[in-house]
Amino acid sequence: MSNELQLIDAAKAGSADAFADLVRSYRERLLRFLLTRCASYADAEDALQDTLINAYRYLHSYDPRWRFSTWLYRIAIRNAQRIRSVNVIELGELADEESDPLLHCIAASESENLWVSARRLLNDDVFAALWLRYAEDMSVNDICKALDRSASWTKVNLMRARKVLDTEMNRQRNEGEAYG
Amino acid sequence: MDKLAEQLRRDAQNIEVNVSDELDRRIQASVRAAGIPRPAEQPPAAPRQRAAGFWWASSLTGVAAAAMVIIILNSRSQQDHIVPAVVETSPVTPSMSVPVIDWKTESAMLTSPLKQELEDLQSDIRKAEQKVKDDIGL
Repeated sequence: MSNELQLIDAAKAGSADAFADLVRSYRERLLRFLLTRCASYADAEDALQDTLINAYRYLHSYDPRWRFSTWLYRIAIRNAQRIRSVNVIELGELADEESDPLLHCIAASESENLWVSARRLLNDDVFAALWLRYAEDMSVNDICKALDRSASWTKVNLMRARKVLDTEMNRQRNEGEAYG
Repeated sequence: MDKLAEQLRRDAQNIEVNVSDELDRRIQASVRAAGIPRPAEQPPAAPRQRAAGFWWASSLTGVAAAAMVIIILNSRSQQDHIVPAVVETSPVTPSMSVPVIDWKTESAMLTSPLKQELEDLQSDIRKAEQKVKDDIGL
């Protein structure tokens, strides 16, 4: 963490190399998240690029009381929303593997990837909350900051999302057993 | 960790992404092109001037609005004094009106106090009685 703060200070002073080191460990995680939010792999890459440029440009406004990852995700979520609003594609409608970048990047598995189900069944903010909680291990407090939502909204919607996905997981399991 | 959380974590890891060298170069170039991060700017100068301007504008608007209200209320009250007849219409609807009795009376011109008038009338009656008695020879 102290190393991270040093890199942040150096980047604030104008060191692009320090910034590159700072965000190196976050790039793939952000791209993975953005891939679930964008309609194409190219859009996700563009969103990642915009996120990192904005992060560098507005690094002076970063508050060290936040986790750096929380701050980065907040920017990434906004960029993904902006790119989505330009393309106006419902992600749940990207059903076939040809057009859906997420399905294209998922390793072969016996059951459907739960994030694909989550994207189909949950709205954008709830999906993002679920991702930050279970893919990024963020605390509820950090999720509130990243999404600009209240703690009660976050807790309630995480609980509802879990319920929805539990039902979906059981349904998939039962279907798997039925087809042998 | 419960089963669902474990599954979600595993499925997130199963999403395979790769930041290609080309994307890496693009990002590096964009960041360098963005220049030194902007220092914390001091934006209050413009907002303060604007705030003062807004304060004056809102104050003047408020004063003008108050003056207009006062003028309108005054003009209405003057109109009320000028045309009382229009305002003082009968509050009784025609269907509720009492039939008017056609009294055969004349209004008396009271030029002196009522007591004096009464005494004059009584004197007139006495004179009239006396005159009638004289005429019929009583």
